[in-house]
Amino acid sequence: MKRIFENLKVAFKSLNSNKLRAFLTMLGIIIGVGSVVAVISIGAGAEALITQNLQSMGTNVITISPGRAEPRGEGGPMRHLEDANTETIDEGELHLEDAIALQAKATLLNEVAPVLYGRNSTISYMSWSGQVSVTGTTQDFLTVQGYKMAEGNFINESDVSNLSNVAVIGNTVAEDYFGKINPVGEIIKINGKNFVISGLLQTVGTAGFGSNPDNSIYIPITTAQNKLYGTDTVDSIIAKLKNENQLDESTAEVKSILRIQHRIMPGENNDFSVSSPTQFLETASSVLQILSITLGGIAAISLLVGGIGIMNIMFVSVTERTREIGIRKSLGAKNRDILMQFLTESIILSLLGGLLGIGFAYLISWLVKTFSSLSPLITATPIILALSFSTAIGLIFGIFPAMRAARLSPIDSLRYE
Amino acid sequence: MKMEEKVIEIKNISKVYKIENFKVNALNGINLNVTKGEYVAIMGPSGSGKSTLMNIIGCLDTPTKGAYTLDSQDISKLNDNRLAEIRNKKVGFVFQTFNLLSRYSAIDNIELPLIYSKGRLPKPRREMIMDVIISVGLKGREKHRPSQMSGGERQRVAIARALINSPSIILADEPTGNLDSRTGEEIMAIFEDLNLRGSTILLVTHELDIARHTDRILYLSDGIITGEEKIKEPISAKDTLKNMPTLEDRISKLEENKNYEKDI
Repeated sequence: MKRIFENLKVAFKSLNSNKLRAFLTMLGIIIGVGSVVAVISIGAGAEALITQNLQSMGTNVITISPGRAEPRGEGGPMRHLEDANTETIDEGELHLEDAIALQAKATLLNEVAPVLYGRNSTISYMSWSGQVSVTGTTQDFLTVQGYKMAEGNFINESDVSNLSNVAVIGNTVAEDYFGKINPVGEIIKINGKNFVISGLLQTVGTAGFGSNPDNSIYIPITTAQNKLYGTDTVDSIIAKLKNENQLDESTAEVKSILRIQHRIMPGENNDFSVSSPTQFLETASSVLQILSITLGGIAAISLLVGGIGIMNIMFVSVTERTREIGIRKSLGAKNRDILMQFLTESIILSLLGGLLGIGFAYLISWLVKTFSSLSPLITATPIILALSFSTAIGLIFGIFPAMRAARLSPIDSLRYE
Repeated sequence: MKMEEKVIEIKNISKVYKIENFKVNALNGINLNVTKGEYVAIMGPSGSGKSTLMNIIGCLDTPTKGAYTLDSQDISKLNDNRLAEIRNKKVGFVFQTFNLLSRYSAIDNIELPLIYSKGRLPKPRREMIMDVIISVGLKGREKHRPSQMSGGERQRVAIARALINSPSIILADEPTGNLDSRTGEEIMAIFEDLNLRGSTILLVTHELDIARHTDRILYLSDGIITGEEKIKEPISAKDTLKNMPTLEDRISKLEENKNYEKDI
């Protein structure tokens, strides 16, 4: 214990006498540890953000998308990853009838809602006008998505069958166009056609991908298809599972129903795909993890370079202090004492570098937090990892110079000029 | 004649260095005994094997052949670690170039042998250090670094460091070589004092005036001891210092002379 204390004293004394050099030597470790911890923390932050967003979309909801369509709206990126993961999918379309068939035949699904995302819709109210995302859907959309009404009512079944010109607006739209006035009962124009506002949604908060539900208007899907956009397809069908633990069974059931509906022969590819946030969560997590590991690995290379820097300086230091080593040996220092002296010095260099590096990582994540929507998560694991790694580097790269110092002959080193 | 305790007992030691394919005989069968409390000088031209003998006596090196007993302990066959322990406990080195650590204060330099000492110290460190500082006359300068001290003061720090572990022998290698004659004499006075108080001192020098401060001079040449001279009346450094005018004395005397010349 006394020896350790003496070694620490000697090491700090010699580092203190050459502060600039000590700092420059540590810089490699500071940058290395800093970037490894920062990259891992930013990765963890991104993962947390995605998880949070996807969970807000509901883990018991599946999305059915037509084959090979351009990704659009909430189903977009999910569908792409799904395609890449599972099977080849032929080009195809989804229609309202598919949703009706699923609702009628599927035993593992609760509500089913077809969705048509609005294309370049201009809305106007009195003298104000602007671009708002318009979504055509059915009465079940509210339940599937888990949205709540603030005022009035959502689209109902007869609105859909009658092609009614009714609209439900999101909170942001209401604030932008109506301020504090209750919008229910007011009339707005969508692409020049009049719609009566039947209800106002509670604030949802961003779902992360695609359109912002608060800045959207919901109208009956039949009205959207026939009166506004002139199409008979739907962009996706979303459905709520009866039991979220039966994801695979439910997906299989949906596939078999739609294969019959689309008259797909055995052996032919599906012309649609089924995906869920849970699946995407897993895919996204693993992609992010691979990314974090890759970037962290690249950052770790600078740790290695920093270690080589320490070794270099320690060799210089041993040569410079040859005479000191001779003096110490003549006064009774054993080889082990000299070895420990230099090893302590290099470990202090790298450990101190590691600690400053963690400070550096905190600085980076503070910057990221301040200037982006991402908040990096600094956990104990990368810190412990980085500290033990940098200590190990001090040990590994310090041992050779220290051994050289310890092996010096006292007679020769006393004579060294 | 009464039996005196032998501190150093060297029997027929030789040292052979191999330089590439040549063998160099640095020492060729040296016999040497030093008794406790003796003050001995070793003289010889460069290349005579002085340094090699010093290194062996100081346990920095081991002889190729022969036996060396220091304080009744056989040194010839010890390993590096044991040699380091012996150096720490039994040998006090004083070098021509002082060999102090420049970044360390006088106290820290003197403390160094204690850092490498095994076992309990007889007294608290601080007390031990202050004792030797006082005995070499450095009180008040203990916080200074070597660069803030004169050559004489530096050599006093080195002597204090050599004394800290109460060694069996003090090995001084040209201790006055880098000092002016007055300061050198002051250092010799310290050795004289230490010897009077019982320390065994071995002095390596090539200056006869310095060697004549000791009880006995050994002449070394080509790796063998060629002669030995007992000094009946060693020079007393203290007496020499009394008669040695200081620099200030000289300057004032010169000024007096100048004034006298002017008056005429």
